[in-house]
Amino acid sequence: MKIWGTGILNGFRITMRNWMRGPITVQYPEQRLELPERARWTVTPKYNEDGTPKCTACLICEKECPDHVLRLDVSKLEDGTKHIDKYVYEVGACMMCGLCTAACPFDAIYMSHEYELASRYASDLSRVLLEDVDTASPRRAKKEETDA
Amino acid sequence: MNAAGAVAIRILAMLLLLLVNGVVLIYMLRKVLGRLHIRIGPNRVGPFGLLQTTADVVKLLTKEDLMPESADKWLFWIAPFVVFVPSFLAYLPLAFGPDLAVTRLDTGLLFLLAALSLIPLGVVMAGWASNSKWSLVGGMRAAGQQIAYEVPLMLAVLGPVMMAGSMDLSRIIEAQKNLWFVFPQFIAFIIYIIAAQADTQQTPFDMSEAESELITGFANEYGGMRFGFLFLAEFSNMFIVSALGVSLFFGGWYVPFLTENPVALSLAPLIFMIKTYMGIFVMMWARGSLPRIRVDQLLAFSWKALIPISLSWVVIWACFQRLVLVR
Amino acid sequence: MSDVRLDVSRQPGPRWVLPKGLRRVPEGLDELATEHLILNMGPQHPSTHGVLHVLLELDGEEVQAAEASVGYLHRGIEKLAESRKYHQVGTLLDRADYLAGLHTETAFALAVERLAGIEVPRKADWIRSLTMELCRLASHVVWAGTFGMDAGAMAPFLYIMRDREALLDILEAITGGRMMFNYVRPGGVFADLPAGVDTKIRAFLDVFDTYLEETDALLGGNEIFQARIKNVGVISRDTAMAFGLAGGTMRASGIDFDVRRDMPYAAYTELDFDVPVASGGDCWDRYVVRMEEMRQSVRMIRQLVDGMPEGDFTAKVPKVLRPPAGEMYAAVESPRGELGIHLVSDGGPTPYRMRLRSPAYYNLAITDEAIAGSLIADAVVIIGSLDIVLGEIDR
Repeated sequence: MKIWGTGILNGFRITMRNWMRGPITVQYPEQRLELPERARWTVTPKYNEDGTPKCTACLICEKECPDHVLRLDVSKLEDGTKHIDKYVYEVGACMMCGLCTAACPFDAIYMSHEYELASRYASDLSRVLLEDVDTASPRRAKKEETDA
Repeated sequence: MNAAGAVAIRILAMLLLLLVNGVVLIYMLRKVLGRLHIRIGPNRVGPFGLLQTTADVVKLLTKEDLMPESADKWLFWIAPFVVFVPSFLAYLPLAFGPDLAVTRLDTGLLFLLAALSLIPLGVVMAGWASNSKWSLVGGMRAAGQQIAYEVPLMLAVLGPVMMAGSMDLSRIIEAQKNLWFVFPQFIAFIIYIIAAQADTQQTPFDMSEAESELITGFANEYGGMRFGFLFLAEFSNMFIVSALGVSLFFGGWYVPFLTENPVALSLAPLIFMIKTYMGIFVMMWARGSLPRIRVDQLLAFSWKALIPISLSWVVIWACFQRLVLVR
Repeated sequence: MSDVRLDVSRQPGPRWVLPKGLRRVPEGLDELATEHLILNMGPQHPSTHGVLHVLLELDGEEVQAAEASVGYLHRGIEKLAESRKYHQVGTLLDRADYLAGLHTETAFALAVERLAGIEVPRKADWIRSLTMELCRLASHVVWAGTFGMDAGAMAPFLYIMRDREALLDILEAITGGRMMFNYVRPGGVFADLPAGVDTKIRAFLDVFDTYLEETDALLGGNEIFQARIKNVGVISRDTAMAFGLAGGTMRASGIDFDVRRDMPYAAYTELDFDVPVASGGDCWDRYVVRMEEMRQSVRMIRQLVDGMPEGDFTAKVPKVLRPPAGEMYAAVESPRGELGIHLVSDGGPTPYRMRLRSPAYYNLAITDEAIAGSLIADAVVIIGSLDIVLGEIDR
């Protein structure tokens, strides 16, 4: 037979038990949680071993992005290959869906684990990923190979 | 030092105790609730977060003093005082040690309960004067609740009064030298803790400031130090009912088996405070663990369950004491 | 152009038009009439789960009539979907019912697959079911915590957050996102299960069994809570049918229907589970039904992790899907009920029309029916027991 009130006393026991288990707080910023490998945060360009970016300015990421967050300004060089004037990324508007990295055929961008994006300045809401660099062009590489 | 000066010093000491209590209790509440909820509570402001309340007080003092345009200005202004001043008055008869009370009133207990009864008036004033429907609902609930639970509170304290033969709190404590009143008066003690939790509007009886319904109930429109007063009054009420419970049921400043020990007697205020804070810890534990009772169930519980039980207990104990325990 | 001027002097002043059902003065009284108080349980409120606006007509503490007014969270998801390609719509649907993003994504993927005739590999079905049941646990656990908070108990809310953190960590390891998953695509899922996730899931489930029973004891075993929610907000079986309720709310009123069992999809034909049904229709029954649903979800997750098949995680779908012209309706059992996507395609790369049938929208329609006659405190508890998410109500 259950006396009225035993449920309440059991509740007291449970809360005290949870007290004894200790807090689960992770004291940020002294302690940080490790993100799993697939966690999607900011879009970051990848580079080759010699420091040149892998991006070929194919503009597929720009078309894939549902919110038009990526913008590439491209110009053509004399030998026909492309030159990236500016690769602008609106971090503040990005929803980190990962569609751009999934669509990139050259594996030139990846979603980093950089989540500490809070800032006091509105200028930090927009980033320039690549500026004034030549694209990784297969045609130029082959030409250099044949030249060498 | 003349008599008036001595009294003034005692009153100032009591005011200081009230303020220090408020600061410590608010910190204690936040830490206790935090630990019960598997989180830490404040720990950044000062070592272990000890300066948190001070920072909050400074914040409250520097806040803009808002009053709703259609509020009743005079009532709105005075309501926090009507809530706070009786709470301070109730500190006066409390006895912290042998000969350590602000005043020794023969009717100290009655004075204390009378002072506590003035608080619902202030709560209703705050709820009405805010001219907001939510505050009004909160104020009305508080009035009904506190009136309903003061009756069992007063009936529950009659048991220790009968056993001690006096309403003076020092004398009641002294009558508990050999046996704490909680053992013979166990039923009165249970009724007392329920009524005390309700009278101070703590969960599970916090209908008047039901946080998930009325946000802060009657204190919705109060900000800055006005809110600080209401908030402080709530915590000092907790201290008062806990101190009263310790005086009436747990032997005040007496340590079992050491009642004649001069060291134990000289540490009387410390022992009293430790016991009071243990009582407050249990109140906070209940606050963190239990859901809220609905307002009609609350009133029904008081009028239909607590009052008949406490009345019967008073009658039974009176008969028992008069007929059986003939001294 | 003639000189047209609007004569404002004779315009009537603003008149407050009350929504239907609310009255200002009680009917049939003599001259000494008391007015009923009309209270806005406004869009900003600690207890309306999201930006919900409920108008209450009160006589003292008793609610005479109630009217829910929604639309504060409308973001135009259905319209935006008309300009997204099929693999991009998932990003929108995550945000509709933000507590059950995977279910909404799956409903859409099912609609597209049925329309386009895409065959989903078995492993993808199993991964979909696994992630959906984990998401269901995460959603129900939030409901349990907020329901406790509505009744005044603060502790369960923090305890479920501990469990939800573990669940979201698992889901982040699988999908890459904690709440906006963007994982289920037409054709299958985006990526395979990472190595080691089954150990994580099993370890979590072992601890979760204890924590679930603790939360149940803390809430359901508490006499005060029981007194608060028993016989409150009774919805009879006929009312539930008439209003088209869904999910746990419907099953607590005695209607035995579950999309997973009766219109199966993904891996549910191969899983062994029970569907809890109660007959009282009050808040207590809704509470019991959802607690039992959580236990059944744990049972299902164990079966899914133990029996995960090998295979492809997605079928081969073209980069830009163009389903043939036509319409299709696909439904899944989200934590709130039958969540359906009605898709109309015109053969192009974007949907012509996508309509989201959100279960919480229909659940919310019984506010007047269920709340009228109870107290304000009960109104809060009843709305909490319906388990509404404003994101899918307002879309």
